[in-house]
Amino acid sequence: MLAISVDSPYSHKIWQDGELSKIIPGGLPFPMLSDPGGEIGWRYMVYDEDAGVDIRGRFLIDPDGILQAMEILAPAVGRNVDEMIRQVQACQRVRGTGEVTPAGWEPGKQTIKPCAEMAGKVCEFWSPEMAFK
Amino acid sequence: MEAKEDVEWEARVGKPAPEFEAKAYVAGEIKTIKLADYRGQWVLLYFYPGDFTFV
Repeated sequence: MLAISVDSPYSHKIWQDGELSKIIPGGLPFPMLSDPGGEIGWRYMVYDEDAGVDIRGRFLIDPDGILQAMEILAPAVGRNVDEMIRQVQACQRVRGTGEVTPAGWEPGKQTIKPCAEMAGKVCEFWSPEMAFK
Repeated sequence: MEAKEDVEWEARVGKPAPEFEAKAYVAGEIKTIKLADYRGQWVLLYFYPGDFTFV
């Protein structure tokens, strides 16, 4: 887990010591990276040059360094941590198994192993209510 | 690093994530962190608009 903004490491320290450590005991337990000028944010499509900040983007990168999922939100909108975790679980589940996770999949629900016999028969094993909790 | 206007947007699902190296505040120390250091592990990289923001 890596957090990143255009702020300096010193600003991260002050925020960590002064505020975050009051919200989370011990402060954020992962590295806080500094992206001065938004050079990294630019490459990840999240740098807003008018505001001079990296907006709320989240990127899931697999053990081979391949980007597997991303989400970019407007600055005023907070994230859904449950959905973030679900995507990590789904990406980990499909990696190397040949399985796929249908809409609404979460751990404990059925995955699909695509094969020729299934073509045109999705209605036999999946229904729209399975997309919801 | 090249001027950012010369760098293409590179973040595409299914393609290698753009490599980077950055100074970081980690458990009381300032360290240099590279994405490549995390090969073999899952990485969740999250950008946020700034320290001391409210959301």
